[in-house]
Amino acid sequence: MAAPARTNPSDFLKELSGRPVVVKLNSGVDYRGLLSCLDGYMNIALEQTEEYVNGQLKKKYGDAFIRGNNVLYISGSKTKK
Amino acid sequence: MAATAALEAAGDHQLAEITVEEPLDLVRLCIDEKIYVKMRNDRELTGVLYAYDQHLNMILGGVVEVITVTEIDPETYEEIYKETKREIPMLFVRGDGVILISPPTRGS
Amino acid sequence: MSSAAAKPNPSTLLPLELIDKCIGSRIHAILRTNKEVVGTLLGFDDYVNMVLEDVKEYETTSEGRRVTKLERILLNGSNIVMLVPGGEGPEGTVAATS
Repeated sequence: MAAPARTNPSDFLKELSGRPVVVKLNSGVDYRGLLSCLDGYMNIALEQTEEYVNGQLKKKYGDAFIRGNNVLYISGSKTKK
Repeated sequence: MAATAALEAAGDHQLAEITVEEPLDLVRLCIDEKIYVKMRNDRELTGVLYAYDQHLNMILGGVVEVITVTEIDPETYEEIYKETKREIPMLFVRGDGVILISPPTRGS
Repeated sequence: MSSAAAKPNPSTLLPLELIDKCIGSRIHAILRTNKEVVGTLLGFDDYVNMVLEDVKEYETTSEGRRVTKLERILLNGSNIVMLVPGGEGPEGTVAATS
């Protein structure tokens, strides 16, 4: 039986770089924006960032730095900007 | 790991411009600029960034701190937001409380 | 005595080797702060940060359960409490016990 194809975290992040993403924090707040870059702590730099609280757009930031310890997950976003 | 990779890249290609290779570069570009910091416990800060380190410990000057408290009206059960503002001339911020940092919007 | 040494102890399978065997199949992650995530495991790293596909995220609050569907995510390993190989999430668990 052939081993299933693996996508490890670092491969996944290479795919996402420069693309629209959703970053969800432990608090439940979502950030949507373009992923500029990311480091080993999961610190994240986003461009054209939108902050959603309970699914409602609350604020916009040009650039944003998110401290990695607050991150629950990073997901590719289908909605193109 | 990411930092060494960035350093190697800088050595190889002789980066002419300041680029954002890793997230902390974004913070580096904010030195001496007015920034917005979202903190845990519904605190928000705006002030001039004088210094920071890898933990995101920061020294901010001319700070305005806004604390938002949510109360529930005992009769209508509506949420009431109360904002408390105060000004602090010089402030040390411990990095572990930081959620988000945003530089000033350029060109505005 | 010598025969005992020849048989490998089943417990020598390291925890992360078990997770490695789950790649390509469904996995149920129970997180801190009343959250659970179910998805197909595509890969993971030493911190057990995981790449998941066809994901359902369950948030259990006092008002009930909220489900969010996601295509592909990188889940931060620091919030993971438990992993259930082959688990189909809170819905599956309830069905099995009733």
